[in-house]
Amino acid sequence: MVKEVERAGIPIVQMANLVLVAKNIGANRIVPTISIPHPLGDPNTPKEEQWKLRYHRVGIALQGLMTDIEQQTVFDV
Amino acid sequence: MKKAIVYLNQFFGQIGGESSADHLPEIKEGGVGPALELDRQLQHAQITHTVVCGDNYISENKEDAVTQILKLLSDKEFDIFISGPAFKAGRYGLACGAVNKAVHDTFSVPVLTSMHTENPGVDMYKQDLIIFSGGESVMSMVEDLRKLAAYADKILTDQPLGTAEEEGYHVRGNRHQIWREDKVCAADRVVDMLLKKIHDQPFESELPIPEMDRVPIAPPVSDLTTARIAVLTSGGVVPVNNPDHIQSASATRWGKYSIEGMQRLEAGVFKTIHGGYDPTAINADPNRCLPIDALRAYETEGKIGHLYDFFYSTVGTGVTQSDAGRMGREIVADLLSAGIDAVIMTST
Amino acid sequence: MKFRIGNFIVQEIRFGTNLSYHKGLLTIDKSKALDIVYEDEHITQADIFLVRPGDDVRLVPVKDAFEPRIKLDGTPLFPGVTGHLAQCGRGNTHALKGCSVVVVGQQWGGYQDGLIDMGGEGAKYTYFSQLHNIALVADTDETFEHKALQKKNRALRRAGMRLAEYIGSSVKSMAPEELEEYEMVCVPDRITSLPNIALVLQVQSQMEEPGYNTLCYGWDCNHIVPTLINPNEILDGAMVSGSFMPSSSKWSTYDFQNFPLIKRLYNEHGKTLNFIGVILSNLNVASEQKERSVLFVVNMAKTLGIEAAIVAEEGYGNPDSDFTSCIVALEDAGIKTVGVTNECTGKDGRSQPLVYLHEKANAIVSCGNVSELIELPPAGIVLGNLQALVRDGMSGGWSDDELLGPSVRPDGSIIMENNAMFCGDQVVGWSTKTIKEF
Repeated sequence: MVKEVERAGIPIVQMANLVLVAKNIGANRIVPTISIPHPLGDPNTPKEEQWKLRYHRVGIALQGLMTDIEQQTVFDV
Repeated sequence: MKKAIVYLNQFFGQIGGESSADHLPEIKEGGVGPALELDRQLQHAQITHTVVCGDNYISENKEDAVTQILKLLSDKEFDIFISGPAFKAGRYGLACGAVNKAVHDTFSVPVLTSMHTENPGVDMYKQDLIIFSGGESVMSMVEDLRKLAAYADKILTDQPLGTAEEEGYHVRGNRHQIWREDKVCAADRVVDMLLKKIHDQPFESELPIPEMDRVPIAPPVSDLTTARIAVLTSGGVVPVNNPDHIQSASATRWGKYSIEGMQRLEAGVFKTIHGGYDPTAINADPNRCLPIDALRAYETEGKIGHLYDFFYSTVGTGVTQSDAGRMGREIVADLLSAGIDAVIMTST
Repeated sequence: MKFRIGNFIVQEIRFGTNLSYHKGLLTIDKSKALDIVYEDEHITQADIFLVRPGDDVRLVPVKDAFEPRIKLDGTPLFPGVTGHLAQCGRGNTHALKGCSVVVVGQQWGGYQDGLIDMGGEGAKYTYFSQLHNIALVADTDETFEHKALQKKNRALRRAGMRLAEYIGSSVKSMAPEELEEYEMVCVPDRITSLPNIALVLQVQSQMEEPGYNTLCYGWDCNHIVPTLINPNEILDGAMVSGSFMPSSSKWSTYDFQNFPLIKRLYNEHGKTLNFIGVILSNLNVASEQKERSVLFVVNMAKTLGIEAAIVAEEGYGNPDSDFTSCIVALEDAGIKTVGVTNECTGKDGRSQPLVYLHEKANAIVSCGNVSELIELPPAGIVLGNLQALVRDGMSGGWSDDELLGPSVRPDGSIIMENNAMFCGDQVVGWSTKTIKEF
């Protein structure tokens, strides 16, 4: 699905926990998330912390969409 | 003597050329056209019937055509079903694939066909079916039929079946262990392969990596502050009543849902129907999967121009490659018509 | 560092009044041998059986196998495990070839245990059916793990090691029938025009708790960063097999002692390549651990001037990512790399062969499918406990299945996955199996 979007020339960033799998699928812009059942907010942490994490990682993803890359890139979080 | 039934298109079924491509499915006694030659080559089966259908008819009315064909076969006894060869003919290849798959699923008999590697029917059906590697055109008819007949005879007489490479059918991701006849041990194979690799000589990996379909990297967004951003998820987040009935695994459907005017995804309004993980955390706060709240914040701050009024959702687990590709293309068409500049996709 | 293995080719094993070896006949005093086994008070019951290639005998649950050997300088056969630490792989070691001490649980099996058929259709699935086996069938008082899925099998494995060393002592003062000699000249002295090769071994080390992983001089390989090791050390008892991972993927201690890949590389050394040594790496469960090991392997290879490498993986599933990542990183460093492993394509052959694939891992030797379905007739004699296959969570066995029924049928015939074949995939180099498309 990621590839179909990219094939159409639309930049796409994939936010995923299994980074190797995302790479394997062929995503070019990847931002790691924290887990499979709760990618962007650990329910065992305070709401404020979850919000910070989510806001931060979405920010990285947005930055990734503006970044000119030459190869598959996993953006540091 | 075992019994075989053959499927042919209108041309090889001797109804006519392109002008007869709308021909409805029919069944004829005995062999017709290539089926006669196949009958000569088969040693352990006789061709009792030939099903013929127009390429256009079946490509435009696939479900109806297949249903009619199954009905034509329903009172027949047969031990094997053979379609084609379809060579490079696309509509014919897709028809052979669809018919073989349906016949196999319905009657549980072995089904065989033959196509050239560039026939779209190969990619579409090779995972499900044995498709022999055929020639480009009718010039290779006799050879293609010979391979089909030889394999059919082996199946019908319970002889050991060779590998895809030995028998000559398209590799389909069905991998099993065998003992090498030459008994060359792994230590020797590894070192020999390494020496070849060192000296840039050709070698054959025993685990060929399925060809990765890499796409060119899309250029970045030049200015996010004016960009239209859409979000996609394979995490199965949908309105609580799952209006599109997206399946919780092996999905074949996707949905598009409005977030217009919403500051965040509320629990009780949205949930996940993904079957592959514990849904508790995402049901309690769907933004954990689909971060609408954070995106709205960036929109309010003016960092992104506009968050598209809809998000797209499906379930990523167990989806076949062909369904994933199709759904992707359908979603892309929608994104393009909405003038989307960039996409964030979240997966679980 | 010169290392010599003096070989004695065993053609027959009998019980007798003294431990002795004479022209291919190994005689074992059973009661003395059992005394060695009972030296560990945790062994509660034990018996020894002699089985030959072709015998209608099924061994299950098999824990490990050892080649009977003795070191002439008096140091322990497995330093750091059966005795004090000492350098392996120098001087002289005597070995009884064509036989092994096979340790079988009398009662209890587990996730990591395997099955050996000495005869019939099942014999082709494991290397050990070709050997004259001294089968130690024993039970222990380790009640804490009798019903645990994962077992350390500590007492049984160590009893096998003691027995192997005791039986090996029969040839300590005799002149070997044949001699193998291995010499690793130190790296700076080995300047040849041939390409520099390293063998990277990813040994099984996925358990966080001690007692399950492969040992190097007694040290848990979960706690190593990759290190250079002289191949002679591996051939001489530095490595002891662990007790985790479905059996067909495992490398037994016997496999380490005889490592065919190492021997083939020695054979090529100075002819087609310059064998620099073995990089001992591991397999991990956390991504940072995986990355760290890859980092060490690649840096060590570069420092040593390695131009081409072989990566061998002891396991499947999650460790496939360690395997493929290591190959990719070596290739990225300009080191041409070949991998050797097994696959998990499922009973139907349709699953992705490795959990992680990469186009740069373009040279792989494949030694089997862990999930291949195997159906075998009853064996005349079962040593151990056949019920372990259905009862104790042995990988490859099951208690019931909607379509296939239980792994063990009332008549003693079995249906199981290749997973349960004792060290069946032989990634160390014995394997004549491969995978083909159907």
